[in-house]
Parts: sequence; C-alpha cells; structure tokens
Amino acid sequence: MTTVTAARTAARVVDAVKVYGAGDTAVRALDGVSVDFPAGRFTAIMGPSGSGKSTLMHCAAGLDTLTSGSAWIGGTDLSTLDDRRLTALRRDRVGFVFQAFNLVPTLTVAENITLPLDLAGSPGDPEWIDALVDVVGLRDRLHHRPAQLSGGQQQRVAVARAFASHPDVVFADEPTGNLDSRSGEEVLGLLGRTVRHTGRTVVMVTHDPVAAAHADEVVFLADGRLVDRMENPTPDRILDRMKALEVPS
Amino acid sequence: MNASVRLGLTSLRTHRRRFAGTFLAVFLGVAFLTGTLVMGDTLKASFDTMFADATSGTDAVVRSADAITTPGEAQGVRQPVDTALVRTVEAVPGVAAAAPNIQGAGQLVGADGKPIGGQGPPTLAGNWITDPGLNPYRLAEGRAPRASGEVVVNRGAAKKGSLHIGDTTTLRTPDPVRVTIVGLATFGGEDGMAQVTFTGMTRADAEKYLTARPGRAASIQVRAEPGIDRRELVDRITSVLPAGVEAITGDESAQESTDEISAQFLSVFTTFLLVFSGVALLVATFSIHNTFAIVVAQRTRDNALLRALGAARRQITASTLTEATAVAVTASAAGLAGGIGIAAGLQALFPAIGFPFPDGTLVIGTLSLLLPLAVGIVVCLASALVPALRAGRTAPLAALRETSVDTSGASRTRAVTGAGMLALAVALTLAGVLITPSLWSAGGGAALALAGFVVLGPVASTTVVRFLGAPLDRLRGVTGGLARRNALRSPKRTAATASALMIGVAVVSLFTVFGASLKATMDQTVSRSFAGDVAVSTPSFGAGGSGLSPALAPALQRLPEVDTAVGLGRGVAKVDGHGRALTVTDPAALRRTFDLGDVQGDLSALGGDGLAVDRTEAERQHLTLGGTARLTFTDGRTLPFTVRALYDRSELAGEYVITRAAWAPHRTQDADTLVAVAFADGVSTADGKAAVEQVAARFGNPEVQTRAEYAQSSARGIDMMLTLVYALLALAVLIALLGIANTLTLAVHERTRELGLLRAVGQTRAQLRAMVRWESLLVAAFGTAGGLGLGAFLGWVLVEASDGASDSAFAFALPPVRLAVVALVGLAAGALASLRPAHRAARLDVLRAVATE
Repeated sequence: MTTVTAARTAARVVDAVKVYGAGDTAVRALDGVSVDFPAGRFTAIMGPSGSGKSTLMHCAAGLDTLTSGSAWIGGTDLSTLDDRRLTALRRDRVGFVFQAFNLVPTLTVAENITLPLDLAGSPGDPEWIDALVDVVGLRDRLHHRPAQLSGGQQQRVAVARAFASHPDVVFADEPTGNLDSRSGEEVLGLLGRTVRHTGRTVVMVTHDPVAAAHADEVVFLADGRLVDRMENPTPDRILDRMKALEVPS
Repeated sequence: MNASVRLGLTSLRTHRRRFAGTFLAVFLGVAFLTGTLVMGDTLKASFDTMFADATSGTDAVVRSADAITTPGEAQGVRQPVDTALVRTVEAVPGVAAAAPNIQGAGQLVGADGKPIGGQGPPTLAGNWITDPGLNPYRLAEGRAPRASGEVVVNRGAAKKGSLHIGDTTTLRTPDPVRVTIVGLATFGGEDGMAQVTFTGMTRADAEKYLTARPGRAASIQVRAEPGIDRRELVDRITSVLPAGVEAITGDESAQESTDEISAQFLSVFTTFLLVFSGVALLVATFSIHNTFAIVVAQRTRDNALLRALGAARRQITASTLTEATAVAVTASAAGLAGGIGIAAGLQALFPAIGFPFPDGTLVIGTLSLLLPLAVGIVVCLASALVPALRAGRTAPLAALRETSVDTSGASRTRAVTGAGMLALAVALTLAGVLITPSLWSAGGGAALALAGFVVLGPVASTTVVRFLGAPLDRLRGVTGGLARRNALRSPKRTAATASALMIGVAVVSLFTVFGASLKATMDQTVSRSFAGDVAVSTPSFGAGGSGLSPALAPALQRLPEVDTAVGLGRGVAKVDGHGRALTVTDPAALRRTFDLGDVQGDLSALGGDGLAVDRTEAERQHLTLGGTARLTFTDGRTLPFTVRALYDRSELAGEYVITRAAWAPHRTQDADTLVAVAFADGVSTADGKAAVEQVAARFGNPEVQTRAEYAQSSARGIDMMLTLVYALLALAVLIALLGIANTLTLAVHERTRELGLLRAVGQTRAQLRAMVRWESLLVAAFGTAGGLGLGAFLGWVLVEASDGASDSAFAFALPPVRLAVVALVGLAAGALASLRPAHRAARLDVLRAVATE
C-alpha cells in the first residue's frame, strides 16, 4: 500500500491541523487539510493572505511540525522522525527555493549548487549536476559569488541547488516574489521545464495567478481549508477563482 | 532627554545580549585594577598599623647613625651600638626605661624537623625585653625566659611548627642552639607580626648567639615618663650620645620600617599587578572596539533610515556614544564592586598560600575608586569612538544589501604601512639590543612591533587563516570549508578579535621565554662557575632563613671524602664610599670549587688587608691590581685594602672577595650562605653526598645538592614567579576569550538567515556547531600564532637587553614544551569561546531563520 502510494504521490498531508498560540489568541492556520502532490507534476498552492498556504508548504516539507494529522514525503511519515533524521531527509529527499534567494554568500555558484550533497558528504551525480548547470544557464558563472549575480541569476542558482540531489520533491516558496517579471518568468519556465523533461516534482506556493498558471495543477486554500483544485490552469481562470474566494460566501 | 540619548538607551535595552561581552570585558579589567589598588592600600595600611603597634610603647630609638646600603637593597646594614649606652640614656631626665634590642636571624626548627618560615618574611630572634612598654610582644601563655636555653616564641610560629610549651627544639642562629620553649607570645593581639617568626631569649643568650661579641645591640628602645613629649625626649637623649649614634622618635622608626617594606616589596608587588591590569585592559580595548564596530555595522540599515528621516551625523554618533557610556558606567561601577571583592578575596587567599600579608580592614581610598572608574569609562568610550563616528557617516541611502563578504581590511596601504612599521620596529629593536644597548629604543621597538602586528592583522589574517584552514577543507569537508570562509569573511573583524588573544598570548609567551632564559642562564652560571661536586645551602627566600653555620665548612673539610669545603659568607662595606656586598671566604680554596675565569694576581695572598675584585667592577671603581681601596665597615672603621687579585666571573663569587681574617674584626652575626664542596679523587658523588649530609644534619639539616640539583633549585623561584604570572594573565586570556565569544555571537545573529538556509537544505545541528567551532578555532589559531611569534621576539629582546644592561651573561632559551602548552591554551580558548554561540546557532528555529528579514 505504502509503496504504491509512494510511486504516485511525492508528498502528501492527511488531516493536517496547525494551531499557533493557545487559548484566546490561538490561530488555526491549517484546519484539517488533506492533499497529495502527485509525483512528476508541478503543483501550485494558492490562496489569499492568511489562508495557510505557506504553513501547508512548511509542514509538508518538514520545516515545521503539525499540531495533528500527518505529513508524508514519499512513504515516510515526517512525524516519526527526530531532528537529525528530519535534517537528513531535507538534505537528501527535499529541495527548497525561497523567496529571498538564500544562497550562502561565502560559497561560489558551483559550491552553492552542490551544498546539500557536500553536507551529506556524497559526490552526487556529476552528469546530472552538469546537465542542471546547462539547464539553468550558469556555466560561465560557476566560480562567481552570489553577490556578483543579479537576482534572477541567484534564484536560478537556488533552483539548480534544489534539484541537485535528485529530491523526491522541490518546494518553492514565492520563488518570484523578489524578481522582476522577466526574471520571474525565466525561473518559472525553468521549474516547469525541469518537471516536464526530467520527471521531477515541484510544489510552489504563490499568490500570483500568472506564476501559478505555469503549474500543471493549482490547489486553492482559504481559512486553513482546501477549497478547490484546478487542472491545466490559465491566469484568467485562476483570477476568477481567487476573486470568488475573496468574496465571503 | 534628548533624542540621541533616548535612541541610544532604547537600542541598548533591546540588544542587551550583544553587550554582555563588552560589559564583562570592562568589568573584569576595572575589577582587577580596583582590586590591585585597594589591596595595595590595604597592605600598606596593615603594615603601617603593624609597625605602629610594634613601636607604640617605644618613644625613642637610639641607634648608630650610618647605614651601609648595597645596590638593589632598600634596607641598609647598621652598625650595632654599645649596650653601655643604656645606662647613659637611662640617666637622661624624662626617660622612664631603656632596654637594648639585640636582634638577629634565628630560624626555629619545627617538631617535624623542618625549619619554620624562611620563604619571604624575616625569621627573627632577639632578647626578650622585660619592660612591657618596650616589648611589642605580650606573653600569652607560660613565662618569660629566665635561664640560658629558655625561649618565648610567637604563637603563630609555634602553631606552624607544632611546638608547645615544654618542647625542646633547635634554633638556627645559624649555629644550632638547643632551646626549650617556656612561653608563647602574641603581637598586638594576633599570633604574630604577620608571618614573621620571633624567638625571644635571655639577654645573655642573645648577646652570645646573635652578635659577634657581647655588649652590642642593634638599637636601644626608650620609654618616656608620662607627659614628656617624644621630640623633646629625642632632643634630650641626642645631647648625651657620642658621635655616630643618633636618636629618633618611635613614630619615625615605624615610618622607616613601613617605607622600607613599601620600597622593597609593596611597590614592586603593586606595580607588577598594575602592569597586568594594564594588559587586561588593553586586551579589553580590542574586544570592546570590535563589539561596537560590529554592532554599528549591523545597524547600518537602522542608521540609514534615521539619516533619511533627518537625523544629523552628530545625532547618530551621539546615540552610539550614549550606548557606550551607559555600558561603560554600569560595567565600571560593577567592576569597582567586583574589585573590592577581589581585594577581600586575595586578602583571605594569600596567607593561605603562604604569602605574608597582615590582616586588617580593607582600605578603600578615593583614588582606588576614581582611577579605575575613569580608566574603564575612557577605555570604553575610546574604543567606541571610531565605530560611533562611522555610524554617523552612514549614507541615508545605504544599500539594503545582504550581509556579504567584506574584504575592505586587506588594503594595500594597510599592508605597506604595517610592513613598514614592523620593519622599523625590528630595526629599532635590533639597534637597541645589538649596536648601542638602550632599553628605550628596544622598548620603543617592542611597542612599535605590537602596533605593527595590529595594523597588519587584517592583511595577515587573510593569508594566515587561508593557510591554517587549508587542511580543514579536506578533513572536515564542507563544514570545514564554510568555517574557513566565515573566518575570512571580514578580515578586519577577524584580526581585531584575534588581536585581543594575540596580546594575551604574546605576554604569556614573553614571560615563558624570559623565564626559560633565566633558568638557562642560572644553569649556565652554575655549570660554568661552580666547579665543586655538591653545594650545601638553606632553602630560603627574601629576608627569611638564617644561613649556614660558619662551623660547617671546617667540619666538612675534616671528612676524608672531602678535598675542599669552602664556605661563602656575606659582608657589607663601603668601598671608596659606595655600599657593596663582600664575599667572605677562604680565597685560596675558592678556586678549587669555583671557576673564576681568568685570574690575575694571587688569590691565596689576600691576607688581612687584601682583596680580590671582579674585573668589570674594578674598571668601574678605577681599581687596578696593586692599587688601594678604602673599605668602611659597619663598625665605622675605615681601612685601606690592597687589590691583590682580579677575576672574571662574579656570578657566584660576587664582586669583592676578602678573607675571614680580614672580616673578623668587623663581623656581625656570622653566617655562610653557601658551602661548596669538592670531593677527594675517587670518591663517588653518592658516597660523598651521603657523608656530607651526615655532617650537615648536625648543623640544622641544610640541603645538600649535586651541581644539577643546585642549578635546578636556584631556578625554583623563577617557576614560582611564572606560576603567579600565568595566574594573572589568565585574566587577559579570559577577556580575549569573551571577545571571541561575543564576536561569534554577533556573527551568528547577523547570519541568522544563512544559518537557517543551511539547516533547511540539510546541515545537521552537529555540523552547524562544528562550523561555528572551527571558525572560532581558526580565529584563535591566528591570534595564538601571532602571539607566540611576537612573544618569542619580545622575550628575545628582553633577554638581550638584560644581557646588555648587566655584567653577567644571559642565555636565551625557547622552551618548546611550555610554548606548545601556551599554544594549546590559546586554541582551547577558541574552542571554549565557541561553545555558547555554537549552541545558540544550532538551536535556531529553521523557519524563523529563513523568514528573518
């Protein structure tokens, strides 16, 4: 059963509840969400501010823990892991792209890309890394430091790093939030291409319908609940759905 | 309250943790300084009280007017006065009582056969003065000595030696005297006059054992009739005294004693401590400066915003300085309190480890409070000044950039300036050491070398850290590589952090090298000059001990195993008006146990009116072979002596040698300081030593040592000194450690986001901790390496300068084991410093770290 699920689902959460604070000030950021992210697909999580989309991603990626319910990466239940195993899981099976690039300023581009592999002490797959470098188009920048790159270039480095260790799933948190539209378009195209050409899985949180339209599927959250899913989205359809969400029913 | 002040104080409140290190650095420096000053004052006051107590019943003291003072000694040797004068003084109207004070060295042997005291404070013996007004000691138990061989000892000495009333023991004067304890005495209500031991005997015994011949006393104590003014009394006594004898009031006598203690011990001691406070504060300066520099750098955004909103440069600077002032004032005030605590603690601790400090309430003078407070505040403000000015210069549109790699420290100008300073420093030092020996240019060069190191630091840190860290990449993989690059991130910051440790380590290495060189020098001295097989001496230090019986050398000479046994005694005289120490011995036998180098003239022909002089000293005093020197002895007599021999090596034999026959008429209490023994041919060292020990046992059991043991024991004092120095420098190293810890904490704070990212992409907590630890170790290694180099160089300078400044040759030695230990301590400081920051970094919440703006 688990193996079958693992083959088709890269990550999933079941009855996920996340409560911040306690008593009168308690906030239910996630209120019983169950969702799975199919392998080999590019999924976008959308929702208005405070809908719980970032929390969902953090919990699904093992950066945060759920109050109740469970989060799985492939066949692994994250709640059973201690900090050391969780760290190893993030290192080996999950990739991250953050809004604020988050490269290590002292490392070169090449070193930033292989950082998760280096931390694991594994040589990785040199051919794959080499191919990645070409995909993100940074071959001539490999020995530069992050400070010498533009924002778009830095985010492309972050994308390459996220895929470097053949992760089960890459989580991207508003990856275009700090970029101009052209650079943003490049990064999104890059994510989409990588999923389609190499069969990787990407889960992206965004509030931008144009960005979300790059995904294969969009899941909508509101008030900590899953409210809709949309296959083959277009910006206009997403925008309409979002407007509906923001109007109190 | 104006805006800048309010801003400064608010930011201080918000970022309290960032200043913890600064606070501690100032606190420790100020506390140490205060402690030193308070302890100095307290000691001085205690000695004041002690000497005043000792003479409180004595209204006047009669003694000989002239004292012979030899170089390097504060206390002169005074000729005794004739006890017949007691009658004369007693006859003066207004004198209630007068008593001779016959005093000499007398060391008691405890119940366990070991001598009591002798490591610093005097071990005295004297006549038990029966007039209670004139005797500072009071009988606490038992009775006064009445018959020969009966003594009263102070209770402290009795306790130390486990002696009780009725016990019989040995008193070394230095001839062993069998004495029976009949009474125990107290001094001013205490068990003794600080740690001084005192044995009171009958006047006849005192005259017999403590003076060269009866009828002589060190001084005469006088008590006035009620209502007689002390000055008046002194004037009256003076009018009946013969020439060469003077009378002073009891107060003056007490003051003299205090001044002597102060000059020969207290001022040296406090100066010594003050130097270490200075080192600690210098180290603190670097730490404080670094903290402010980092805090200002981290606040660039805030300051830029303030500037954009219309804050003037001056206001930003003022707000930073307000923070510095607040830290300085609170830390210094806390330091004052801490310092008083330290003084109280030391006062309790020192007697426990055998330092002779009298008790007494703490004396806290205004200066002891104001000076450390001022120094603390000035150091803190001066350290913060440059960062504060830099804060003021923040451009309103300062880039809101990520914390990045700053290599601004490694500029070419800096490299050239630093290298120039170092070159000049070396040149100046070498000139001061090798060409024309001058402590000033050597010292100036040393100071300049330090400054050069500091200027060159940021440039050097890049190279050195890259070099030291090179193996890390291979050994520790990405963790090591990250650590190395973090250490390289801000060369200025790395250098400033390391500088604090560098200074601490440099001073430690300096003393280590100098100490080892002194030991090597002594070793060399003994092996060059001591040609005998064993040396007999009493282990003593300072004013304690009683020396060796002059009868020991002749007794040893009679042993069949012994070829030659030569005793060396000590005398003083003025040579052509200059106070000098004399070596009193058998010059003919001297050459068989000592290597005097090249000897001109005939040592065996000195006779009763000849002397031998060290060649260098002879040149200084313009004495030539066959010439005449006029020697004035403590008895006031001046006699011409013919220079009959000149020799080269004065290290053990001293500058002047005269025969026992020549010294005998002028002698005081006779004692030898050393008996050198050469065995007859064919006698093994073990056999010879055993035979000598057997005889020595009858003379109060002094130590019998082979050449090697003798050289080693001469160096024992140096080890003791080094231990004290290390203890004091631990403070400087601690402050440096705090500086590293603070810099790391600030760096961790600054890199929150980066650390969060590393954790997010899979760095384990252990890897993160290791990364911070290795960074700390690299910085510490840099500081330690610089400190070792600088310290070894300065040690060499000090040795060479001392060599140039003195007659005896100094040897330079680099002790590899000790220096390795110093290096390890430096690295351990780095590892310790990283503990908390690494722990905090590892505890970072990944999510929050990633989300931090």
